Amino acid sequence: MRTPVTTPEHDSRADGTAAIRQPAQRLPLWVNQRLGLLVLTVALAALFGLLRPAFLDERLVLFPLLRDISTLTVVALAQMVVLSVGHMNLAVGRMAAFGALFAGLGYDRLHLPLQLGLLLCLFAGAAIGFLTGWIIARTGVSSFVVTLAMDFALLGLVSLLYSALTENAAFTTQPSGLMDLRSTSLADICVGPVCGSPAVPQMAQFTVLALGGLGFLYTRTRLGRELLLTGANPAAAELSGIPTGRRVILAHALSGLLAALAGFMAAVGTGTFRASIGDDFMLPSFLGAVLGGTLLTGGVVSVLGALLGTSLVGVIRKGLDLLGVGLESLNIYLGCVLLLALSADRVRTVVSYRKVVRST
Amino acid sequence: MRPPTRSVLTGVVAVAVLTAGSAACTIKNSGASSGAQAAASGKSGTGTAELADGSGTKVALVPGGAHPYFQPWKAAGAAAKKEYGLGDVTFDETSEWDQQKQNNLISTLAARGYNAFGIFGVSPTDINTTFADLKSQGFAVASLASCPAGGTDKADFCLSTDVEVAAYKAAKAAIGAMAGKGTLVHLTGNNVDANTQLRIKGVDKAVKESGGKVKLLQTVTDVDKDLQTAQKAVSDLLAAKGDRIQGIVTTAYNPAVAAADAVKTSGSRAKVVAIDDDAKILSAIKDGSVAATVVQNPVGQAEVGTWALALLQTKQCTMRHPGQIIDSGSFVVTKTNVGTYDAARTAKTEQLKKQFADTVLVCE
Repeated sequence: MRTPVTTPEHDSRADGTAAIRQPAQRLPLWVNQRLGLLVLTVALAALFGLLRPAFLDERLVLFPLLRDISTLTVVALAQMVVLSVGHMNLAVGRMAAFGALFAGLGYDRLHLPLQLGLLLCLFAGAAIGFLTGWIIARTGVSSFVVTLAMDFALLGLVSLLYSALTENAAFTTQPSGLMDLRSTSLADICVGPVCGSPAVPQMAQFTVLALGGLGFLYTRTRLGRELLLTGANPAAAELSGIPTGRRVILAHALSGLLAALAGFMAAVGTGTFRASIGDDFMLPSFLGAVLGGTLLTGGVVSVLGALLGTSLVGVIRKGLDLLGVGLESLNIYLGCVLLLALSADRVRTVVSYRKVVRST
Repeated sequence: MRPPTRSVLTGVVAVAVLTAGSAACTIKNSGASSGAQAAASGKSGTGTAELADGSGTKVALVPGGAHPYFQPWKAAGAAAKKEYGLGDVTFDETSEWDQQKQNNLISTLAARGYNAFGIFGVSPTDINTTFADLKSQGFAVASLASCPAGGTDKADFCLSTDVEVAAYKAAKAAIGAMAGKGTLVHLTGNNVDANTQLRIKGVDKAVKESGGKVKLLQTVTDVDKDLQTAQKAVSDLLAAKGDRIQGIVTTAYNPAVAAADAVKTSGSRAKVVAIDDDAKILSAIKDGSVAATVVQNPVGQAEVGTWALALLQTKQCTMRHPGQIIDSGSFVVTKTNVGTYDAARTAKTEQLKKQFADTVLVCE
């Protein structure tokens, strides 16, 4: 199941892919997956724009599209972090709901300001992620089983807490600034006479920060490289002196933190903190990460790819919505994208394996 | 083991950066208005709200997702388009029971030129935010088949079944079928949904009114996900407590169909009160295995909702009380009126239209 990588040499790519590889032998530019995704996304956006000029409507189409992409990119990053150590997080949606529950509780009961509520939310997410990682590291049970169990446990716990603490099964208290955060775009930020685009939501700042932070972690720090080696070959990592158990815990804690951030963003996007937040995060989390070039088997991540993968799915969905495609066809198209994503992952695994074989 | 200083440091830095980010995000408001229009005053309804020209009105009927309840909206919307000469009426069920997806779908429909919206909000606690958004952009908005939670409605109006009253009626019918005594079970939908909480309240109220003669054995929630879930829940319930149950009241579609089936096949003597008028439920009422069903008025919601939205969108009429909640009606159907209830429902739709023209709308 592991990517056949044997030596911990580091390859940090300028295009955002971080991987542990044999001496760098770059694929030609035209095979670059991220470039391909970017071209495909832009081409599809242009096509939809031609077919339906309304696609380029900044306020009604692009703003909500980018807000959605911002949230789902963070979801994909939450999955990507655990994929980097060769694990998966099936509880990504419930961790989002768990984090959002604490933010809502903070605003409703403790009357916290917006920032402190967000901190509480992130802390709760990181804590539940830490616990999950700790269980996996201590027991050695597969992450699939542990996160699946965590998903069920949180499903019950979150519903129970909302029912016990609220009348309408949601925290509706909105701290000052929450609605601004939801509806403001870069057009509200001006430097002199120059204002930003009304298509870019201010909420995207969280995504940019998460992308920047993770990009830095995986390409510039030893910790990031250790995470990747833990994913690529845990035995080799252990023998190299890397505390793999702690790296696994860190990856899950980070995943929980990012999931909670996505939960907060989803709550801000719709208006209240409720139990159903994150209900359908799991599929987009894998879709965005894998489409972007992160290997399901661990050891290779692409931070920028998570954004591009999520954007492609978002653009296709929005375009089909605009063309008035019905529910059944919409899901067929989205299913095809998922299938293509998984096939592409397999092709890339084979290609990188052959490269390794050829060079040894 | 050395302490994980570096991991902690990375975490702290990430959190600090995010917090700083959120502090920087609240620079200024976009100036969106609250969306509530001022109440029109001084004019009285004439009762003759004839739509002058609806050709510029494009109405979108947006349910929360695919569900048999909303299927009549499709035909009712198409009929309203023809009858009132509207620009277009579309029915789009691609929200997939997700508020974020529904919000995106609605803004996409707005970009496609739709200017009046009849919406069943996925999340009753969130939908007011969506309504306020749409109102601030000048669209006509109706909350159909479900009202926002918390008593405030930021749409122009809410035309919906009063779910608490419908659940109360259903529980009353069940208690009646049980001859006023025994134990009752309530099967319903998603527990973390404001409407489910109202349904539970309605059933509780009816049980309390029995003065202790009827006991609510259990309220089973979260069994409306799909028919299979509901079937499993009902068969488990009958296997465990079947001999102690005299009545089953269902306030959600899937458990209603499942309970009707299970009682028939297991030979249980429990009296079942269902919801809606699925063909299976109607045939079960005819053969006596289901005591009654509480039928709602989806056709009336779509028909009257579309018509009223067109009047509001063309500015021919305004709301007398913006955000008013109007009950679209619910009807208890038993073996005696199973053949005639549809006439009562059509009459209710006509009466709703008159109510809108007379008292709800103020027209020029």
